[in-house]
Parts: sequence; structure tokens; C-alpha cells
Amino acid sequence: MLSPINVSMESLNLMTLAPMLIPVVGALLILVIDIIKGGLHKSLYVVLSLLFLAMDFVAVADSSGVFMANGTTLGLFDVMLIDGLAILAQFIIVGASMLFIPLAMTHKRFHEFSYPEFFALFLFMIAGFQFMVATDNLILVFVGLETSSLALYTLIAMHNRDKSFEAAVKYFTMGALAAGFFSFGAMVFYALTGSVEINKIALVLAANGYADMGFVLIGVAFFLAAFGFKLSLIPFHTWAPDVYEGSSAAMAGYMSIVPKIAAFVVAMRFFEFLVHSGIVWLDVVLYIVVVITMTASNMWALVQTDVKRMLAYSSISHAGFVMAAILIGTTQANAALFLYWILFSFTNLGSFSMLWVSRQKHLPDYQSSDHSYNKFAGMIKTAPIASVIMALFMLSLAGLPPFALFWGKLYMISSAVTGGYTILALIMALNSAIAGYYYLKLIVYMFMKEPVQGNDGHVYVANATLALKTIIGIAAIGTIFAFVAINPILEFVTAFVYNSGY
Amino acid sequence: MEIGLNHYLVLSTILFAIGLVGVMKRKNLLLLFFATEILLNSVNIAFAAISHYYGDLTGQMFAFFVIAIAASEVAVGLGLLIVWYKRHGNIDLETMTSMRG
Repeated sequence: MLSPINVSMESLNLMTLAPMLIPVVGALLILVIDIIKGGLHKSLYVVLSLLFLAMDFVAVADSSGVFMANGTTLGLFDVMLIDGLAILAQFIIVGASMLFIPLAMTHKRFHEFSYPEFFALFLFMIAGFQFMVATDNLILVFVGLETSSLALYTLIAMHNRDKSFEAAVKYFTMGALAAGFFSFGAMVFYALTGSVEINKIALVLAANGYADMGFVLIGVAFFLAAFGFKLSLIPFHTWAPDVYEGSSAAMAGYMSIVPKIAAFVVAMRFFEFLVHSGIVWLDVVLYIVVVITMTASNMWALVQTDVKRMLAYSSISHAGFVMAAILIGTTQANAALFLYWILFSFTNLGSFSMLWVSRQKHLPDYQSSDHSYNKFAGMIKTAPIASVIMALFMLSLAGLPPFALFWGKLYMISSAVTGGYTILALIMALNSAIAGYYYLKLIVYMFMKEPVQGNDGHVYVANATLALKTIIGIAAIGTIFAFVAINPILEFVTAFVYNSGY
Repeated sequence: MEIGLNHYLVLSTILFAIGLVGVMKRKNLLLLFFATEILLNSVNIAFAAISHYYGDLTGQMFAFFVIAIAASEVAVGLGLLIVWYKRHGNIDLETMTSMRG
């Protein structure tokens, strides 16, 4: 006879769930509205999504206040874990999503935005990412990861072109493989420690002095592969350029930011104790992966003929750059990771939005792909403001002072030096220099070359509406005036990272 | 001979390897989905066995979540497959080469 279980509502601490429930409620509401009255204009759904994301942002801000006062909070049978990392990551996830969703208000009609399901899936995806970062439990990480990934595959496919289906299928196959690796890795650690909570795994492993080293390494290898797929680290990056090319430019920009910060936070939680446990093998492997990811993707980016593919490889390179923080593992490096990613979200979303406003429905003869370099030739003559803004984002990505990413790179490299990784810092600096070359290549095309015959400059703003221009404006302001906000952001981020013990 | 934990773990590892080879080698999309199912379900066997070994229910819970996720993954995958088949009349991965990574 089972005795009834008594659980007090107090101990559940349901407030920890509030930030995830808001987008879920929003998504359900959108679906219900569609059932009651179909065929409504997409602007309604955009505004509704924005509204719920804003509420979500406020809820996250509220839990950050609770964190500042009481420290780390647990909830729902200790499954939910609201610490500084969770809050910072949720700020980035929700903030970047708020910048993304107005990009649906394009001038031309696109297939995906005519379905309310697009917005519902989008909100479900955000809830998935939030669950993924706000927990210590590998089960919930897995569920959050798959909720968001499955929604993302569908969102990519909804773009409704041959290339987007191909991209969705490729991403799906890789994602399924990553899910298999993740669950196998979790199984290995469950077998070793009898727990699926990261802090308990760390405790048990430390208590028995990493006795079964061979099995620990197997588990770590599987996790590294799973995170490698999600973060597009080399050699697991093969899907990234194709998927970015196949999906819409706005979605590609979004994919380079939000899924990666969620995966970074999980990787940080998981590798933090392993890096500090003094397993030499892991340090060496991470070191090699970081260096190769940074360098090789820069080389590939040099030879691309399409701007979007170039930006895809550059995103891989940036992910490798930031992965160095997890290798270094100091508080300063972890704080630099969040700072870098906040600045990167503005810059990268801005540059992908610039591609998005210049998206045509039909390709002219001189263009081999949607965003080939020669499309941008002589852009300064026909669309001066757009080309200057585009150049601004490129310079920021290249890490030129005083633009946003310069500060990110500065803090990242200095944390590598203070962490004792001098050679790594040198490689990172060298890579920034190489990367400068291909960003400048686009600038040369825009400023130095003559426009192609038949290109009257209309194409660069073919898709522009007030909503898109506003988002680009916000991204540009964030990129230019980042230096004003660097110190407050860095103090804020460092306080959160330090107080949650990373 | 008594069937112990190790037997289950070995079985799970072998199935995982089969699934992995399937994902790498299969060119037919439907068979590739089968391979991912084998991949995920091999982990379930191990979780259930370890859970019984420790006398702890967490592993079985994880296995249930994996089952649910595998099912929804196939639902999304088959949706993509049907759209691809309607457009191209085949489900061959070899034909998906309009972009080169």
C-alpha cells in the first residue's frame, strides 16, 4: 500500500517556473486565437509574441532580483535551478528573440509568417531554451534541448524553398545524432555515479577520486560530441554552413546566437568541474578543438563566394573563440563569455538582418546565390546608408575598436593571459587578424567596385519596412555605443557569474 | 550463467554502435530514421538496467523521457520526409546536394 505523498506548495517554489510558462501560455494563446478566428494578419501575432517576450523578460529580471537578494534558488523538487548563469543566459535568449521577431514584418510576403504556428513554435522553442539553461538535471536539459531543436527544424523548413527543406533534413539528422550522443553520455555518468544531476555527479566523482577514469573519459567524449554538434565546433560543424544558407537570413542570424548560448551554459555547468579536476586529457582535447575551430573556419570563410556562407563560417569561428572561455575556466573568462555573447548578438543579428532586407524573391542573372559578393559590388553608390551600416557590422565582427566586439575580444584575450594560456591568447589574436581579411573583402566590394549592370540599388532595401529598419537601428546603436555600456555590463555579468560559483 | 548489469551494458553499446553505423552509412532517409531510433533506444536498455541495479527510479524516468522524445522526433522527421517526397519523388540523401558544405 502506497502512502499518499504530501508536498507543500511552498517547497515547490513555483515562481522558478514563471519565466518558462509565460512563452508557453503565449504560444497556446496564439493557437487558440487561430482556431477561433483564422486568417488574421501576421502583425497581430508579431505584437502578441513581442508582448509575451516582454513579460518573459520582466519575469527574468524579477528572478534576477531574487537571486541578488537570496542567492541560488531551487524549485520543483530541486529540478529547477535559478542561478546567475541561468538568469544571464535567459536575458540573452529572450532579448535576442525580441530583436528577432519584428524581422517577420517584411515588405515581401514570405510563406512561414502567414502561419500562426510559426509564432507558436517560436515561443515553444524559447521555453525549451529557458528550461535547458535553468536546470542542473540532465533529464530536463535533454527535454529542453529537444523541445527547442524540434521546433527549430520546423521553423527552418517553413521557409518553403528546396534549400530550406534540405537544410532542415540535414540539421535534423545531425540533431538526432547529437541527441543520441547526449543520452549515451548521460547514461555513462548515471552508471558511474547513480545520479543525473551535474552537481551530484561532480561530488561523487570527486569523492572516489575519479577511480574509473576510462569510463569518465568515454562519457566526456560523448558529451563533447553532443555539445560539438550544437555549438558547431569542428569536426562537428559540417551542417552549419548548409543550414545557414538554406534558412532565411533572419533565422540564420538567430541560430548563430540563441541555441549556442543555451549550449554554452550547459557546457559551462558540465565542463567546469571536469576542467578543474586536473584531467590533462580533457584540457588537451578542448585546447585542440578550440584552436582548430577558430583557425580552420577562418580559412574556409576566406574562400566563400556567398556572404551568408561567409558569415556562417565566421559564426563558427566566433563560437570557437568563446569556447576558449570554458577551457580557461576562471570567473573572469566565464564573465567574458557572457559579455562577448551579448555584444555578438547585437552585431551578428544586425549583419544578418542587413542580408534579410536585401532578400529578393527571384535571382537576377549575375547572381549565383542569394547573397553573392557581386550583389554588393558598388553598394556605396546606390545605397550609401545601408552600405555604411553593413560596413559597421563587418568592422565590429572583425574586432576593430571602438565597436562592440573589440571589447569582447579584449576581455576574452586578457582572461586567457591571466588564466595562464599565453599561447592560446596569441592564437586568438592572430585569428582576429585573419578574420579581418574576409570582412574587409566585403567592404572592398561595397566601396571600391563598380555596380553590376542592371543593379539600381533597389535590391538592397527590397524587403525593408519600418520594423526591420528599427531592429537594424537598434543593432547599429548597440554596436557603435557599446563602449559606454561595457563597464556596467561587465560588472553586472561578473557579479552574477561569481555569485553562482563559476 | 546469470545475466548481470554488464551484459545489458554490452548489449546497449553494441546496439548504439549499430545505430551509429546506420546513421553514417544509410542513404535512404527512412532507414536513417530507423537508425536514430536504434541509437536512442539502445540507451533506454542501459538506463533501465542501471536503474534496476541501483534500485533508483531516476534511470527509468530518463528512459521514459527518451521514449517520448524519440517519438516526437520521428513525427517531425516524417513530416519533413513527406514534404521532400512530394517535391522530389524520392527519399534519397544522395540527391540532397544543392549546397556543398
